[in-house]
Amino acid sequence: MVKLDRINLSNEGLTKFFSPIEAQIMEVLWTNEESATPEITAKTGIPLSSVAGTLDRLVKAGFATRKVDKKGQRVRYLYSAAESMDNTANTITKKVMDSLVDTFGKVAIENFHTYQNKK
Amino acid sequence: MFSITEEIECYIACITDSSLLPLMGMNIFLALLLFTVYLKAKSSVFRIFSFIAAQLSMVFAIGMVASAMQCSQMLTIEIYTAYVLASSAIILLLPCVYYKALIKRYRARPITEVMDWPQHFVNILSKKAEVYYYDSAVPRAFASGKAVFLSMGMLELMDESELKAILAHEVWHIRHNNKTPILRQLSIMTFTRNRSEDELELLADIFAGEVVSKDAVESARAKLN
Ligand SMILES: [Zn+2]
Repeated sequence: MVKLDRINLSNEGLTKFFSPIEAQIMEVLWTNEESATPEITAKTGIPLSSVAGTLDRLVKAGFATRKVDKKGQRVRYLYSAAESMDNTANTITKKVMDSLVDTFGKVAIENFHTYQNKK
Repeated sequence: MFSITEEIECYIACITDSSLLPLMGMNIFLALLLFTVYLKAKSSVFRIFSFIAAQLSMVFAIGMVASAMQCSQMLTIEIYTAYVLASSAIILLLPCVYYKALIKRYRARPITEVMDWPQHFVNILSKKAEVYYYDSAVPRAFASGKAVFLSMGMLELMDESELKAILAHEVWHIRHNNKTPILRQLSIMTFTRNRSEDELELLADIFAGEVVSKDAVESARAKLN
């Protein structure tokens, strides 16, 4: 989960940085204000047995937040993304760039410049 | 005539003279370390291993003390007896306090903070049992000492009658543990998975079926599989 040693550049889209299940859950959280667990399992089509542990991890890692919602004698979690997708993209980009600059110094920075000029 | 002060003096003299002293200290330290590992261990293999290793290093330490004794053998026997008594007291008391460690580990809170009926329901089945919940989406329920633990994931997944079945199941464990002989209790604590565990689960389910309903037990089981 966006740990530098787990970034896999050959994967598609968000799964470069998240596991497939994490990515699917985060997409649901980014596109909805608040989601209860059954909504997340329904929208991702992933069974609760895989979703539950992943949700715990996403909360622990700070990508998702949850609050306990009491309704009469029923309780449930309501999940939301800790940050917007853009902000998360920002955090990930910074992390990756930091590590590139850390390793390659000037070469990395020069490459960022040529990249910017090309755009 | 034996005098205890003389004996202790002789003891200290024998041990400080002994070349085994650093080894003895290391062994006792190791035993304490292993007991801590045993208490903190989450996997059953780890618990069995650390428990046996801790006991072994304690016995080694006592053996070394005994071999270092030249003047008096009496105190060694007394110390050994004290160790046996102390460790049995710990084994007897541990199940009564272990659940408190679990409350801390899971940061569990009394269930009455989020809903009232589960504690009321459990009060009918057992006078002392307390129901706790903890923050995790993974549906889980377990009992230790006089505490029943439910994860939030369990609370949100089950309807009322299913939750009652689960609570009754866990209360059965609590009642059963209180009736279990010490030796078996120790074996359950150490070897968290043994062959008769399935048997216990079945008995707990039967009890839950009688208290609530068979359907509730079955639908709760189905949701967990
Ligand atoms: Zn059980």
